[in-house]
Amino acid sequence: MTLRRWDESGKLKALKSPGGWRYYEREMLELFREDLFGVCRAWAGSPVAPNIPNNYYASTQDRFRARLDEMALLISKDSRLSDIESLLPAIVGEIGNNSFDHNLGNWPDVPGIFFAYDVNKRIIVLADRGVGIRETLSRVRLLKDDFSALSVAVTEFVSGRAPENRGNGLKFVMSIAQEYPIGISLQSGIAIAIIEREKELLEISMAESNIRGTLAKIEY
Amino acid sequence: MRIELKKFGEVLTSRPAGKEAIAAIRPSLDLNANKIEIDFAGVLSLSPSWADEFFRVLEEIYGDKVIYLPSDNPSVRATLKILVVEKNSK
Repeated sequence: MTLRRWDESGKLKALKSPGGWRYYEREMLELFREDLFGVCRAWAGSPVAPNIPNNYYASTQDRFRARLDEMALLISKDSRLSDIESLLPAIVGEIGNNSFDHNLGNWPDVPGIFFAYDVNKRIIVLADRGVGIRETLSRVRLLKDDFSALSVAVTEFVSGRAPENRGNGLKFVMSIAQEYPIGISLQSGIAIAIIEREKELLEISMAESNIRGTLAKIEY
Repeated sequence: MRIELKKFGEVLTSRPAGKEAIAAIRPSLDLNANKIEIDFAGVLSLSPSWADEFFRVLEEIYGDKVIYLPSDNPSVRATLKILVVEKNSK
């Protein structure tokens, strides 16, 4: 009964045999059991990056783009997500591409990003082991700590790559989360910005542990 | 002149892809066109990074002759909205 309920609610969608029987692939069940965000946080926060499956890792922007296209296609097939199917790839794209744009040629150790999602649990996680938002924005703005850096990044139009005309990506992400049923947390350093699902309030507080680069979780 | 964005892909989110797109179409732009219509039909997802790279160049060339055709796509609407807010904040 529980599996049938999860199938109907979308929490764990079953595949259907030609005869109408529900069944699950092993990979699907292993993914469901796994704590994606925990793995992502460990990868981003460990002094040395642990080994992760290739399907969680995008070493280049082109690989990220290809995997994002796959995710967009998968989400677009779920009719219950029609209101946000166009928005999820847009905000994931902004976060992931931000990691590449701001760390290109400057990765401290491992290049690329952690990018994984689970359409059954409705969660998307991303992380990078880059220089972080504070260091990026410190190139153009005097910032006293991680909190002020994150606050500027999510509320003001400012670019860490001035004089280039850019700097709207994270504002876009946060404005989408405030308007649609999407929850988001974005951490860099010891500061974390959170908008809970179906709430408008943006809160910036202290994270449980330090992340040099960035760590993001999207729930929908 | 009408530009159909779907010709550049269904998911348009990164700056490098936006730069590639505008570089690809630039040689075929009609510099004497009375208007440039941007058609979003067939685009699954658009984000500000791609849009900024592509539309900024078009607006530098054509100014207010760039016309954004109506779209029901929430990512298109949200992207255009934030680009306008950003422009007005400068």
